[in-house]
Amino acid sequence: MSHTHIRNFCIIAHIDHGKSTLADRMLQGTGAMDDRNRREQTLDDMELERERGITIKASAVSVEHVYNGQNYELNFIDTPGHVDFHYEVSRALAACEGAILVVDATQGVEAQTVANLYKAVDADLELIPVINKIDLPSAQPEDRALQVEQILGLDAADCIFTSAKTGQGVVELLDAICERFSEPKGNPEAKTQALIFDAKYDDYRGVVVYFRLINGRLKKGDRIRMMRIGRTYHVTELGKFRPKMTAMSEPMEAGDVGYMVAAIKTLDDVNIGDTITLDTDPASEALPGYQEPMPMVYCDFYPSGDTEFDELREAVARLHINDASYTYEPTSSEALGSGFRCGFLGMLHMDIIQERLERESNVSLVQTAPTVTYEIELRGRVDDLPGSVAGSGTGKHKTIQITNPADLPDPSTILHINEPIVEAEIITPTSSIGDIMKLCEQRRGIYKSQKFLSDDRQILEYDLPLAEIIYDFFDKLKSITSGYGTVDYQLKGFKTDNLVRMDILVNGSKVDALSVIVHRDKAEFRGRLLLKKLKEQIDRHLFEIPLQAAIGGKIIARETIKSVGKNVTAKCYGGDVSRKRKLLEKQKKGKERMKRIGTVDIPQKAFMAVLDTSE
Amino acid sequence: MPYQPIPLTNMPPDGHATSPTNPAAQSHAGAGAGAGVTINADTSAETSDPLATKTAVDSLYIHVPFCFHKCHYCDFYSIVDTQQRQARFADALICELTQLADQYLLQPTTIFAGGGTPTLLEPIHWQRFLRVAQTLGILNRIHEFTVEANPETVTDELAHILATGGVNRISIGAQSFNPTLLKTLERWHEPANVQRSMTRLRNAGINNINLDLIFGIPGQTLDNLADDIDRALALQPTHLSCYSLTFEPKTALTARRDRGEIQPIDTGIDRDMYAYLLDRLDDAGYDHYEISAWSKRPPPHPPTHSPTLYPHATPAHVTSPTLPLAATCVLDTNNTRPPIDYRCQHNLAYWRNQNWLGIGPGAASHINNQRWKNLPHLARYIDTSPTPARIDHEHLTHAEQQSELLMMGLRLRDGIAIEPAQFPTHTQQEIQRYITVKMLEYHHNRLRFTREGLFVADCILADLIPS
Ligand SMILES: Nc1nc2c(ncn2[C@@H]2O[C@H](COP(=O)(O)OP(=O)(O)OP(=O)(O)O)[C@@H](O)[C@H]2O)c(=O)[nH]1
Ligand code: SF4
Ligand SMILES: [Mg+2]
Repeated sequence: MSHTHIRNFCIIAHIDHGKSTLADRMLQGTGAMDDRNRREQTLDDMELERERGITIKASAVSVEHVYNGQNYELNFIDTPGHVDFHYEVSRALAACEGAILVVDATQGVEAQTVANLYKAVDADLELIPVINKIDLPSAQPEDRALQVEQILGLDAADCIFTSAKTGQGVVELLDAICERFSEPKGNPEAKTQALIFDAKYDDYRGVVVYFRLINGRLKKGDRIRMMRIGRTYHVTELGKFRPKMTAMSEPMEAGDVGYMVAAIKTLDDVNIGDTITLDTDPASEALPGYQEPMPMVYCDFYPSGDTEFDELREAVARLHINDASYTYEPTSSEALGSGFRCGFLGMLHMDIIQERLERESNVSLVQTAPTVTYEIELRGRVDDLPGSVAGSGTGKHKTIQITNPADLPDPSTILHINEPIVEAEIITPTSSIGDIMKLCEQRRGIYKSQKFLSDDRQILEYDLPLAEIIYDFFDKLKSITSGYGTVDYQLKGFKTDNLVRMDILVNGSKVDALSVIVHRDKAEFRGRLLLKKLKEQIDRHLFEIPLQAAIGGKIIARETIKSVGKNVTAKCYGGDVSRKRKLLEKQKKGKERMKRIGTVDIPQKAFMAVLDTSE
Repeated sequence: MPYQPIPLTNMPPDGHATSPTNPAAQSHAGAGAGAGVTINADTSAETSDPLATKTAVDSLYIHVPFCFHKCHYCDFYSIVDTQQRQARFADALICELTQLADQYLLQPTTIFAGGGTPTLLEPIHWQRFLRVAQTLGILNRIHEFTVEANPETVTDELAHILATGGVNRISIGAQSFNPTLLKTLERWHEPANVQRSMTRLRNAGINNINLDLIFGIPGQTLDNLADDIDRALALQPTHLSCYSLTFEPKTALTARRDRGEIQPIDTGIDRDMYAYLLDRLDDAGYDHYEISAWSKRPPPHPPTHSPTLYPHATPAHVTSPTLPLAATCVLDTNNTRPPIDYRCQHNLAYWRNQNWLGIGPGAASHINNQRWKNLPHLARYIDTSPTPARIDHEHLTHAEQQSELLMMGLRLRDGIAIEPAQFPTHTQQEIQRYITVKMLEYHHNRLRFTREGLFVADCILADLIPS
């Protein structure tokens, strides 16, 4: 197909505004999905996506649409809306000329609507605003179109009104895509450059590479080169997503989006953002590619139950092929042994990786509480200290970065502890402003600005320590605003504060995996709360267990877990044996999932209790 | 209705049993040397001896599913029968027994009739059943034949029929002597009837009598418990079973607890109560031989007149009221002084994982490492007679057998003679760990819980069992 009749775009929106459902209707409207195979959110094909009803990974698909009597090929990418997956959106944007910005007609513009729009504008994309869910009784399509104009600066008249449920407006949307989006930029006659925007490991075919052909041509049988690593491969299969991968024999040219198989056996050879060119006639330069994602939170995974460290290593590496946006490196803890320190784009991302590891590789894990990166400025001048300077400290002092409170050096060597600060934009109903400000102040936020969106909605801007918002800030925000408040944030930099490490002693011995870095003024309070949570999580044992919180050897809070008074089956005769045995086995299984530290069995949840600040 | 004795075959006209002098039983007991085991079940299946090709059964359980009311804590299979199905039930029970007697070497040393309320089964049906059992030779080697009784249902007539039919031990569900606590449990009986029942049973010649008690009842105090124990001891039972109240799933009591209508007692008090029982009953001359079971301690010297080795029901007029006859007399290894053993031999068979068969709806069986249950459904039991539907069939794996050995065997204060090396390393390590913290100990080369360990036996077992 001539590339004048190709349209490459992605669907972006705030979470749950209906991107994936709208994608279903587009597949259906173009005959790519027949009614027989119809199911909801076809593109959310990962088990976890279906269970949680959210998109985690962007997925690409090609469909054909007849507009004005002519055949068009539409390549589009459905993206996730959750703030943790901004990186997925960025990758998708780089492969497109246009973006459909979906706004829920009942909820209107939300924090990720704004954030994703800015990203699309930054990437120079053309935009079609879509007001979706107009079938709902509470929909206010006209009002939302007005918001799009007032808040986002797009013309209200350009809005297309759809219901991804009934299919209303979908043909108009497809027509508008053909009409308003430009044909792919790029030159089929130029030297071949294809951008790798995703990859997947397939047991039979090796690595399957997803690409957008920016310039030149590609066909089956070509010898290709990965520009960053310099390796060459032989293309054995080339195809498109319709929506299943479908091999094609004709060559592809600039503007096309597809996948290729080239007997690539190791995932390390494929870098997302790398450029593919022809080995025989290579392009002189690679495409700019993507910025490496920057992990926001870190936690450790340790093997538990009968999982061995080697099994965990394999599981972590294998999953990394499918999701390169998390980082991992070996680590060890006195309490928990050998494991991996992993970095994630956010808490949901962390949750998902943990769950995918357990499911897809059948390993059992202990996960420690997530923490952020801290920058530690050490005493003494740089010149006096061996080693290199890292981080963004004042420059005169040696600075190290730690992602685990247990790694904090001796306090006497520390000049400052700096923590990551984010710029947060909170969109909220006006009626909740007071409570949200109170919440932000409790979380050591610094007020920046307040903007009016409409009569009843405002944007609040705060600088907040990342550590204060990663765990339960969203839940708090949702409950304060009855679900109407949303937040988006990005990293701003590091800032010094009066931070200390609080250690937790269980039965008299320090459990390094439970240490946390806290603000000095809040330490007592946090310590008491933390011990209370731990006490709820740790079962009674045959002996009394003292719990203590300490800062530098000084105990600041204590609790005691009483011992089991009595636990013995009163009756066990002939008919009871099997049932009682099974009860014992269950009791045993419960214990096995815990981590024994010294003589105390600590359940996985206890490691997370560290972060729970609710009273 | 006046009592009409039905003459039983092989019984003298006066209705007294003759089997105590059965020579086969005697020679067997000599060889059994204390354990009460008949023929080694494991080898009997493979041995070339043609007589031993059938699996030998050590014990027989009979489930009688009738009750006149459902107690709120009870999770046994029992029903309040409104359709007069006793005769059909008894027929089915007899047929099942007959069938099994053909299939197995069914000459158990112990029988236990539980329920439900076995004493609710009319005397005529008991009589029919006992006669068939006798005819089939099932009573030939009996050491102990227990029937469970509700204090409201023991009549002179029934006592007599049971005693003459071979029953030599009765277990009475007393639970508590405190009317308020009985009400909390919705257990319907008049406390004074416990004593009346015992008198009737003793008059009929059954002197080996257990009382079941429940402690840790919502609202109960330590004083209440002391009171119950005093009253129980005054009745001079040969055995006491004291159970800490368990909230079993799907019982009315558990539902009431979940609705917040009753408040379980504090585990601290429950612990104090158990500790009290351990001390008090020891002082009163009862040996604690299993977590919830105490047996009257044998006298320091053997009685002047040697007790009958296998005392079946003995007529009342020859029984000295102050010298209750032993249920079972097991010989010492060195065969000098035969002490009287009031431990429940039938329950010991469970705790030692011997071979036992259960008959009646809901009854469980354990034969050569297989377990199953009859479907707990009276109507179906009657309809499918003589081969009731079986459920929950299990063939125990090696690990499961080991778990059961620990779980059942360690209930006994004697503990178990084990070779730790037979167990997985994990189990060995845990045993060692609990010995170090004095929760387990070796006593006469047998592994057992220490007194401290008893209180938290389940926590320890969960660590011990192989996975
Ligand atoms: N009534 C109605 N419901 C819709 C419509 N579009 C989507 N939904 C529902 O809204 C919910 C979210 O839809 P999704 O398509 O999963 O939303 P999404 O934007 O892809 O969400 P993420 O990928 O997680 O960001 C689902 O329950 C859909 O059934 C619509 O037009 N009308
Ligand atoms: S009498 Fe026994 S079997 Fe019947 S309901 Fe009461 S406790 Fe249960
Ligand atoms: Mg989606």
